Amino acid sequence: MKRTLRAGSLAFALVAAGCAADPSHEHGAHVNTANGAPDRVITGPQGGRGQFVVECALSHQAQDDPIVFPGRPGQSHLHDFFGNTTTSAASTLASLHAGGSTCEQALDRAAYWSPALIRAGQVVPAIKSTAYYRAGPDVDPTTVVAYPQGLAMIAGNAAATKPQDPAVLAWTCGTSGERATAPPVCSASRKLRMVVTFPDCWNGRDLDTASHIDHLAYSRAGQCPPEKPVPIPQLQFTIEYDHAGPTDELRLASGSTMSGHADFVNAWDPGKLQSEVELCIHRNIVCGITSGRRTG
Amino acid sequence: MGTHNKLQRWFGAAAVLAVGLAGCGGDDNATPGSAAPGAYAAETVTVKALDNTFDAETLTIAPGTKVVWENRGRNDHDILVAEPGGAETFGVTKADFAPKATYAHTFTKPGTYAYFCSLHGTKDKGMIGKVVVTGGDETAAQPSVSTVAPSSSNATTAPADGPATLAVPGDFATIQAAVDAATPGDLVLISPGTYNEAVNVTTDNLTLRGLDRNTVILDGQLKLDNGIRVLGAKGVAVENMTATNYTANGFFWTGVDGYRGSYLNAYRTGDYGVYAFDSINGQLDHVYAAGSPDAGVYIGQCYPCNAVIDRVVSEHNGLGYSGTNSGGNLLIVNSTFRNNRAGIVPNSGSYEMCYPERETTIVGNVVYSNNQPDTAAIDVAMLAMGNGILSAGGISNIIERNLVYDHDKSGIGLVPFLEEDPNDEIPGDDELKMTCAEQKKIPVTQPDGALLWDSKHNRVVGNVLENNRAADVLLASVGSDLAMLGNCVQDNSLTTTAPNALQDLAPCSGAGSGDWNAGAYNIAAWLTEQKPPAQDWKTAPLPALTAQENMPSAATAPPNPAVNVPAKVDLATIQVPAKP
Repeated sequence: MKRTLRAGSLAFALVAAGCAADPSHEHGAHVNTANGAPDRVITGPQGGRGQFVVECALSHQAQDDPIVFPGRPGQSHLHDFFGNTTTSAASTLASLHAGGSTCEQALDRAAYWSPALIRAGQVVPAIKSTAYYRAGPDVDPTTVVAYPQGLAMIAGNAAATKPQDPAVLAWTCGTSGERATAPPVCSASRKLRMVVTFPDCWNGRDLDTASHIDHLAYSRAGQCPPEKPVPIPQLQFTIEYDHAGPTDELRLASGSTMSGHADFVNAWDPGKLQSEVELCIHRNIVCGITSGRRTG
Repeated sequence: MGTHNKLQRWFGAAAVLAVGLAGCGGDDNATPGSAAPGAYAAETVTVKALDNTFDAETLTIAPGTKVVWENRGRNDHDILVAEPGGAETFGVTKADFAPKATYAHTFTKPGTYAYFCSLHGTKDKGMIGKVVVTGGDETAAQPSVSTVAPSSSNATTAPADGPATLAVPGDFATIQAAVDAATPGDLVLISPGTYNEAVNVTTDNLTLRGLDRNTVILDGQLKLDNGIRVLGAKGVAVENMTATNYTANGFFWTGVDGYRGSYLNAYRTGDYGVYAFDSINGQLDHVYAAGSPDAGVYIGQCYPCNAVIDRVVSEHNGLGYSGTNSGGNLLIVNSTFRNNRAGIVPNSGSYEMCYPERETTIVGNVVYSNNQPDTAAIDVAMLAMGNGILSAGGISNIIERNLVYDHDKSGIGLVPFLEEDPNDEIPGDDELKMTCAEQKKIPVTQPDGALLWDSKHNRVVGNVLENNRAADVLLASVGSDLAMLGNCVQDNSLTTTAPNALQDLAPCSGAGSGDWNAGAYNIAAWLTEQKPPAQDWKTAPLPALTAQENMPSAATAPPNPAVNVPAKVDLATIQVPAKP
């Protein structure tokens, strides 16, 4: 709690000093180092495990963070927002439910966001996000519970200055199975992606906590810990950027490319989310595949 | 402080949270026209029409009960109301009540309804029957001799009496409601109308049928995901209807054993028109598919697939047919693929499982003018544009007796697929006969760099090729020795090949001779060619949609679940088709 507040104060001070537009300021507002990582890097071909997948176009960019800086617009680093078209510092669950969606799955009105990618002082456009929803590794898929409405999650550490565990934050090209801790050099036809894997266990009680992570955990050997006993879908969130080639000047609005992270607030249509969890995850059915290759 | 505010915001949704956890089902589907029969309660009783009596002759039911008459005899029968003008109107003509046919009506209004078969009785003699609908507030039905207790809400059909017919919207306002009430073997029979639904099917051996292929329309309104999605349920057949404007697929089977799609139209869909994934023992016949960025018709991730695609027309898609990592008794026959970016494109890649694509048999198809520049298109469709039949990294495919003409690139091409972002190494020959299920268990090895999936051991025999402007038949690779890939080309009617004189270089019987370098084709140039831009699938132009042939006897044919599919195809009798 204290760290969060202090970080918020720092961000506020930066805004007051007129520096908010400078994405190089690293304020470490996200506090997310304690809930670990999946047992293993989740990668490989699709099609072997139940999943549902949602692709969403970039909606908008803003220096807002409804989880970390609610009600305080402009106080965060620059974010790319996907999914819900209304996500802002002022968002509430009701406002999200009233919003539209940039997702192909129009009933997914969840708010997804991640720090903007920057190269040589210019924002690199994000093309789209892909959200893979699956049971966590080795978790009994029939035990997975749909996210409660309004559940807030952060994955990855925005304050990281060293490589994060690639099971949580990784970079890749296209839909490759490679998972690198730093952006690889990609070709123009298989562009750079950031891959963030969210926790898959919940305490069953809190939609958020002061640290934004204490209500969540990663499963171990297919089991959720006793204090966070509820398996939830493991969200693997990827952002594709309009970037190929050299990576030396890349950074994120939150810091270096090692500070990768992503945020999620569940505002899915409740019935649709529930049915997708039951039909695709409980039944271990592949409800969708993304080759990442749509161009029109 | 900000955190505190924030917690209040999300916690404010506690009521919604409770709803979410309670499991509120997928009722996101809109409802077509008619109002829900409030007390449908999924109660159904069956009356057998025998030769020549109704059994039970008198039926006493509660309001809201559906009565299903089944013709169990060898004779035609009909059902006429003895006293027309009553509160309930029902009945069926002999044309729709042939042996094995069913007819259903849900009675909602209390009263006594006498009926008879005009072929074997009169209003009061011979083959007669009576339905007594009890008053609304009583609980027990009248204890008459013939009373049949309604079945429980989860057992719509009377199991001992065979399959039921569930009419939409007559008995159920939505297709989903009927599907949810149906039990294995039942027929969901859908009347003409527009249904803004995304239907999920998880019950085995259902038949979902439209009464008219062209006017039973599932419309996703560019918002809903799949028209009909069958998830793991075995033996589900979908017949005689149209799906359009879905953001994912028109008709979709995933993870099933046994499927059939017949007399289906699918157009303007975000991924595929008709899509079978990770599924075996299937048949897609009499399908019309247009306007998807990926494939109009697709069967992928199966080996052996044991499936047949027969009498399909696929046009104005990114790909007419695509099948990634499928094959093994997979037949594509007697079909038409025209005016797509590319026609028939079996392909390999490690982003999905059970690679490589192998053993697809492509016989007796008409494939022409697949150069269409104004379709939606995934990038593979862009890459494959201008080709008729293109094996992209496929192995041991048989391509025989097709008519293939008017393509900017090849009529029949056997080319590599360059996978820049692979997820596993290319399997060795020892994996090629493993089933998909076995292959899935093999751990993956992340390759260091791109993969090149070569087309190998394919047979191109007896096709008729005209006016394919890169070459009628084209073999190419990037770095591999073409002479060692084991593809053969023989007895085709053609003008041009690349390399030159392919039928001398690579005959299917006997030793080849000649120079593989003469007329060799630079396939790598495809990677950098500019193509007409992909259109948005929601707005890409489509050809005028004409009425398509209906299935025979949609109203009366018995349920036909996909339990003995695919039908046997006699490949030997298939001839090169005539030019349309």
